[in-house]
Amino acid sequence: MTTRRTFLKLLSAGTLAAFGGPPSRRALADVAASSGTEFFVFVHAAGGWDVTLWADPRNEARGIIHPASTENTDTSKVKRWVDAPLADGTRTFELVCPSGSNLVLGPGIGDLADMTDRITIVNGIAMNTVAHPDGSVYSATGRHPEGGRVAASSIDTMLSNELGREQLLPTVSIRFPSSYVGDNLDRRVVPLAIDDVGSISRTLARSALYDVSGERDEVTALLSAEAADLAKRAAYAGVLDGMDLQYGGLHRMLSSNLQDVFSAGGLKKAHPEFDYKSRFAGGPAVNAAFAVESMKRNLVRSVSFAIGGFDTHGNNYRTHAQLQQETFDLLASLVRSLDATPHPTKNGAKLSEHTHILVVSEFCRTPQINLNMGRDHYPNNSALVISPRFRTNFVFSKSDPEQLLPMKAKTFADGERAISPPDLLATFLAAFEVNPRKYMRDGEVVRELLKA
Amino acid sequence: MLARRAFIFVSLFASSVCVSACAAAPPPVVVPVAAGSLQPVAITPEDTTPKEDLRLVPPEVTMRTYLRLFGALTPLDFQKAARGKDGSNLFDTWDDYVAALGFPDYRLDVPRQTQTNALMVATFERVGVALCDRALEHDWKAGEPRPVAERVVFAFDPPKGSMTTAAFAPGFDVLHRTFLGYPASLAPAERTARFLALYDAVAKSHAKADPKSRFTPDEEAWAAVCYGLVRHPEFHLY
Repeated sequence: MTTRRTFLKLLSAGTLAAFGGPPSRRALADVAASSGTEFFVFVHAAGGWDVTLWADPRNEARGIIHPASTENTDTSKVKRWVDAPLADGTRTFELVCPSGSNLVLGPGIGDLADMTDRITIVNGIAMNTVAHPDGSVYSATGRHPEGGRVAASSIDTMLSNELGREQLLPTVSIRFPSSYVGDNLDRRVVPLAIDDVGSISRTLARSALYDVSGERDEVTALLSAEAADLAKRAAYAGVLDGMDLQYGGLHRMLSSNLQDVFSAGGLKKAHPEFDYKSRFAGGPAVNAAFAVESMKRNLVRSVSFAIGGFDTHGNNYRTHAQLQQETFDLLASLVRSLDATPHPTKNGAKLSEHTHILVVSEFCRTPQINLNMGRDHYPNNSALVISPRFRTNFVFSKSDPEQLLPMKAKTFADGERAISPPDLLATFLAAFEVNPRKYMRDGEVVRELLKA
Repeated sequence: MLARRAFIFVSLFASSVCVSACAAAPPPVVVPVAAGSLQPVAITPEDTTPKEDLRLVPPEVTMRTYLRLFGALTPLDFQKAARGKDGSNLFDTWDDYVAALGFPDYRLDVPRQTQTNALMVATFERVGVALCDRALEHDWKAGEPRPVAERVVFAFDPPKGSMTTAAFAPGFDVLHRTFLGYPASLAPAERTARFLALYDAVAKSHAKADPKSRFTPDEEAWAAVCYGLVRHPEFHLY
């Protein structure tokens, strides 16, 4: 009979054997044993944000641009909105120019305006799409979907595969467009896709009235052995090998008492620094608390989540600026929380020194206000990076002053053109010495974005 | 006019004579010829190996299978029965698990999961344990012995006395057919022995570890066999 001890021995042996085993395990060997101290947070502003309210601000009616104004925006709750004259008695906003910074921002930036020395903005990103699923996948993977099929792994999966296979929960994805596609990937980094953080604790809860954990471990050990045996017989062993590894992960998850902490209530108590009562970002604040707590415990490599509500075609555009403000306030709180949290494995280091945040959306919104007083989809975009490895207090590229369309950013290997999502993702990978070509078909590293 | 009529008459007469002559002729005979033997240019053995890796059963199918195994109930009926009113914490609501089970969310454009992950494996355990424990209570612990035909999963009577391979095999075969769809005798040779060893270990552990359990050691051991089959890789992959 396979005892629990034998099971654990088998798990250890399995990890060692990985270096000479079948492809999914052998993939372990080609990763340098470095950068295991870095953490990643990816945020998707779901729906398509209005970049003219934060990263690429417009407060003049120029060309086809209708700036946000008191006519279409509820300004009462936007902290950094200061009225400026527009036309016909309406008022737009004054540009936000934080002291000591050369960044010029819109009022939606919220508290993040106080952290310009920590942020990098990329404007004028060419999206070549105005469809939500396409834009989401393109921003997260650097590839447009092929038909309805996602064609590449998402950035969180790529980085976890390089730097986080040994973590208990390598890739946690909370409504983020994460994907696991391609070769050279370890099955342990398949994104743990969940609806909300609380579902982790419910999934890991077990009744105490029937069996005990040791008995369930016996079953898991048996299943691990069955998967390994079936893998030996199979022509393609990848999926079965993966299940074998995941049974090992289950044992570790259940024995780590995660359910006590990873409930919404537990996280709110442990991290009162986040505003859980805010109108739009109260729910995502729990995800941010989960990110901090799980990184503090060194359980994850990457946490990705979405903040919804940006798709404002109609009268709901009135609160778009407030939604942005709450989103960036949440990110500012996240950075402050990371500043106050020690790194789990590097003595004397703060978590913020080793945490890298990328915030994307599927596209931006039209420069014109439509007949419903909202804005529709537009194939331009901006992105935000908060990372010690990126050049901070810095804006890269721009959009057309009259049409808000992406402008040529620089001369790439294929000529002069605008920056696109694969370029940004390739740069993000290169910041951690990961070769983008291992995962991405397109994209060129933009060295100007990285710290020298 | 007369000449034209004569011409038509002669033409029709000539045509009919020709048609009768053709109809009277014997049909052409095709003489069979032996086909020449084809010489092989090269011999390549037929490749019958699978051409792609195993795939995860779609979550909708997995859930439907759970429901059928539990007695062809609706999802809400399953939820009600699995939760019970006894505060056992065996199950919560489907809403808590649909994302982890890999269901798509069309409101948010979240696609269907096509790969297992550790959290999904944990959810399989959570749901599988609830299904097996409630099924065992329904089949074996509902007061009067329930006729085999009315049982949902454990459609056999637990053998009495010490558990041997001969005593274990029939019941295991019933469960194996129920969850994996084929007889245990066709499974890899070591499977029955492996599950018997699981049975023995759990029965022994349960006898000393948890006297407060609602299940006797033998019941818990059969429940563990059920957990092993409802969470088996063959149950979730195809």
